[in-house]
Amino acid sequence: MEFSGFFWAAVFWMAGWGVIGSIALKRRYLHRDLDTSNTSMVGAFTGAAAGPFALIPLWIKTPRLTTRYIVLPVIATVVVFGLFFAKGDPGNICVTNGTFVASQFVNGLVIGIIYGFMALGLTLIFSILGIVSFAHGEFYMIGGMITYFITSVWLPGINPMIGVLGACVATFTLGAIFERMFLTPMYEGKIDRPVEYGILVTFGLAFTLQYFVQATAGANPVKAQRFLSFPRMGLPSSEDPWLMKTSRGSMELFESVTISSPRLTAALTCIFVLLALLYLLHRTWTGKALRAVSLDREAAAIAGINPDRMNMLAFALGGMIAALAGSLLVQAFSWLPQVGAIPAMRSFVIVVLGGLGSLPGAFFGGIIVGLVEAAGTGCVPDPQKAASYIPAYGMIVLTLTLLLRPTGLLGRKYASATHGQN
Amino acid sequence: MSRQHIPTAAGAVFLLILGLFPFVYNGGDYDYVMHIIIIAFFYAILASSWSMLAGYAGQFSFGHMGFMGIGSYTTALLLHYIHFAPEPTSICTEFAIGGTYMIFVNPIGVTSTSLAQDCLRQAMDVWDGSVPVSDVPVWLGIVLGTIMGGVAGLLVGLLVLRLRAAYLALFTLGFAEILKATISAEIQITRGQAGLETPALFENGITLFGRVYSRTDKLPPYFVFFFLMLACLAVLWWLSRSKFGLFVRALREDQEAAAALGVNTTRYKVLVFVVTTSMAALAGAVQAHYVGIVTPNALFLLQMSLVVAMAVIGGVENFVAAAIGAILIQFVLELLRNSFTIGSVTIDMTIWRLVIFGIILMLTLRFTRNGLIAPIIEYFHRGHVAAETVAKRAAATDKDGVQG
Amino acid sequence: MINLKVTNLKKSFGGLEVLKGINFEINGPELIGLIGPNGAGKTTLTNILDGAIKPNSGTVYLNGERIDQYKPYQVALAGLGRTFQVTRSFRRMSVLENLYVPALAVGEEQNRAVVHEKAMEVLEFLTIDHLRNDYAQALSGGQQKLLELGRLLMLDPDVIILDEPFAGVHPKLMEVIYEYIRRVNDEGKAIVIISHQMDAIFNLAKRLLVLNYGDMIADGPPADVKNDPAVIEAYLGVDEEDEDELAGADQS
Repeated sequence: MEFSGFFWAAVFWMAGWGVIGSIALKRRYLHRDLDTSNTSMVGAFTGAAAGPFALIPLWIKTPRLTTRYIVLPVIATVVVFGLFFAKGDPGNICVTNGTFVASQFVNGLVIGIIYGFMALGLTLIFSILGIVSFAHGEFYMIGGMITYFITSVWLPGINPMIGVLGACVATFTLGAIFERMFLTPMYEGKIDRPVEYGILVTFGLAFTLQYFVQATAGANPVKAQRFLSFPRMGLPSSEDPWLMKTSRGSMELFESVTISSPRLTAALTCIFVLLALLYLLHRTWTGKALRAVSLDREAAAIAGINPDRMNMLAFALGGMIAALAGSLLVQAFSWLPQVGAIPAMRSFVIVVLGGLGSLPGAFFGGIIVGLVEAAGTGCVPDPQKAASYIPAYGMIVLTLTLLLRPTGLLGRKYASATHGQN
Repeated sequence: MSRQHIPTAAGAVFLLILGLFPFVYNGGDYDYVMHIIIIAFFYAILASSWSMLAGYAGQFSFGHMGFMGIGSYTTALLLHYIHFAPEPTSICTEFAIGGTYMIFVNPIGVTSTSLAQDCLRQAMDVWDGSVPVSDVPVWLGIVLGTIMGGVAGLLVGLLVLRLRAAYLALFTLGFAEILKATISAEIQITRGQAGLETPALFENGITLFGRVYSRTDKLPPYFVFFFLMLACLAVLWWLSRSKFGLFVRALREDQEAAAALGVNTTRYKVLVFVVTTSMAALAGAVQAHYVGIVTPNALFLLQMSLVVAMAVIGGVENFVAAAIGAILIQFVLELLRNSFTIGSVTIDMTIWRLVIFGIILMLTLRFTRNGLIAPIIEYFHRGHVAAETVAKRAAATDKDGVQG
Repeated sequence: MINLKVTNLKKSFGGLEVLKGINFEINGPELIGLIGPNGAGKTTLTNILDGAIKPNSGTVYLNGERIDQYKPYQVALAGLGRTFQVTRSFRRMSVLENLYVPALAVGEEQNRAVVHEKAMEVLEFLTIDHLRNDYAQALSGGQQKLLELGRLLMLDPDVIILDEPFAGVHPKLMEVIYEYIRRVNDEGKAIVIISHQMDAIFNLAKRLLVLNYGDMIADGPPADVKNDPAVIEAYLGVDEEDEDELAGADQS
């Protein structure tokens, strides 16, 4: 299955008009002295979706670029790309098999929720401490490892809930201790370049943790038992289960979409914890204090909040969130000490896409990246290549974000990449 | 000898020892020890060029190993795919240049174990030795690898111009990851994890000081890396002493202020990327020929972590300290390789040494501002300055009140 | 002959007109104060002159060279230097290295010995030569202000814009900085001081430019400007504190 020349020509056409659109529109708006903050993105997507046909009216009329002008071209671009893809490779499974597409979509959504949840931890740390934790992937890895050891090695047969809780407690403690020991000098102005220090010291932590786990747990892949087995059943009846059919490890909806039990339990738990987290952030004093510190450190301190304590809490909580994601996924994937690298990269992509420091942004970003990866792995003809390129899909999203909308989808307050000193 | 000359003298002695070592040392593990030192030189080039990029110019790039990989893959692909012969093969893509034919070998991937399926092999079988086939010279591969690294550095430098701190680190890390993914995925061309084999630095041996060395002897590559390291350090020294060094440090401290004082910040930021990435690519290209094979494994984060840790422990704001740090850490890591047993527990030092290393990295960052080796150099260099300042300051305080 | 000519300079940010057609000219080594209530457009004007942002329309000529489309470093090389509201020394470079940067950037003299000598002269002039090998971050706030001035002297521009040069400076040191500004002015450089400290402005400047809501509402000697009804109204109508400043300047 080779892609036809038609497909590559179409991609070239879209990319070319995208570049032209983003540059031309920005110049036009600048020249007309209008708000240029969205022009690159709108121009790029309008150009990619409809080429000159939509760019020229936009160029002439220069309307105020409201959300409508952003969302519509993005959707149109995806649709147009899909059409070109279908035309270019009519035999592709993503074109011929609707069931497969639905299944990929649902699974992308499910895994995207988990990605978004993990990225939430990273963005929480960033919004309070102003640093990007390079140890996020290692927290994820350790969460999975601890859960595996508790449920399968030390106390086999125990309720997996205990394993998950154990991982949370351990990583929370680890995060708090690390923050006290290594990050405190940042706030006292003892470090010349706090942002770089934060990157390097968490990088050191990542390195240490990864090899510590390898030294103690070995380098062989492990996998935990699935936490939950579905009861065998069929809906509406077990004779004709067109609505839903379950086996022990997975469930099938509408005789087309298959979701495995580990993924479903992980995603549901993530949503549940996310709601709990939102409650914590918006309804409790501690959560309000956290948000206050993220908005204005000094003002929060004047209001009687101890920002140092909030730093510790944020770092520990952020690490714990990653660990929780790991401990939920250790039942779905096989686990190695190096397993954290790709999820860490993915979390970086998601937080930049969503807007560094924006919690809802991280969640939506996660879903987008989940869908993009599902499309990428499902539809690229050569499955082996498709799997190898997984990190690359995210990076393409990252590069586009940095070029077109450095503030991310929902990032406003937290400045942009270009002013990202804090 | 005054105090500020001590580091220079110590450095000279250190270099002299390294220069004489291959002739003096004659232990049974000669090749092994030589190999360790060669790799130490390799890391010294990477760590010192990274320290110029991160420590001097403040561009914390995590893609340095990516550029190294560009260097090694450029030369490996070039030597693998392009050959010359005086007669056409008629089955390969080929161009006539004067009397010789430039032959492009078709990619066959890793599916064929015999390596006999590409068009050139088939043609050579037909010729049966009657037509001499020549490769691209190794030095040309290395030069082109270096240039490619510099070009990639230029592009990345232009892309990240407006990115700061965390975003820069993320973007460059992502760049390295994409590169690794591409190399791993395009098995047809790069042979993926199987790797591309490369000819040795001196495929036909070399005669040095009246002695003939074969292609597997360690002494020639030892001196290649030794002088390469010295050359890189010399270039870095010259740059750091020239206005280039001054300007990149100024833009690390405050980009806008530097621009307001007439510094073309864009040019110097891109330039520092180009210079340091070509050094990384150069090291990578030479190393590809020394090791004899390139695989995407070299691009894994571990290697980047090592370079960062070496530079940071040595002292990221002093490229000499970073180079010394790299050499010493490489030695220490090798010495710590021996696993041992306490009671019934075997301590696998090949892994534990990296744990120790990581802890040292964190502690260095936490408790020293500029690594472990740079402060020592600084102590000798700036010691007299501090004393002088104290005296002058005491005198000035008596004189006027401008002491805010 | 120094000449800075600003003609019909306009700038707006997304519909908000910040500068509505500014005109003024500096001829020769003048000592000018630029004042105006908060939000008058002083910072925007400085940033346009400096090249950090581009105007929507209008021109800026420095000694006959059009500089309004230049990048900041080109503006600096063309002969316009500025300081920043918040002190922005190169903190982890020595005082001497701080001074080398502009001298080498201008590039007229690449001989290190000559540059060093010039830097030492500047440091002696500013009486901080004993700190020459210290990192800039070790200097006090006032000394850092002097260092910034020193860097500008090394850049050797024709026109110097000082953005709030007295902010955070110890009162004892104020007089010293006045003195340096006067002496630099005497050496033939045009200086524009932006400050909220009216007593300082009235003490130093021989000509005042007053900005209000993007308009240049007054331009003349301090004595005239002080009694200008438009100026009084601008300060009365906007900010009582500033009015007090005007009154305070009256007494001094």
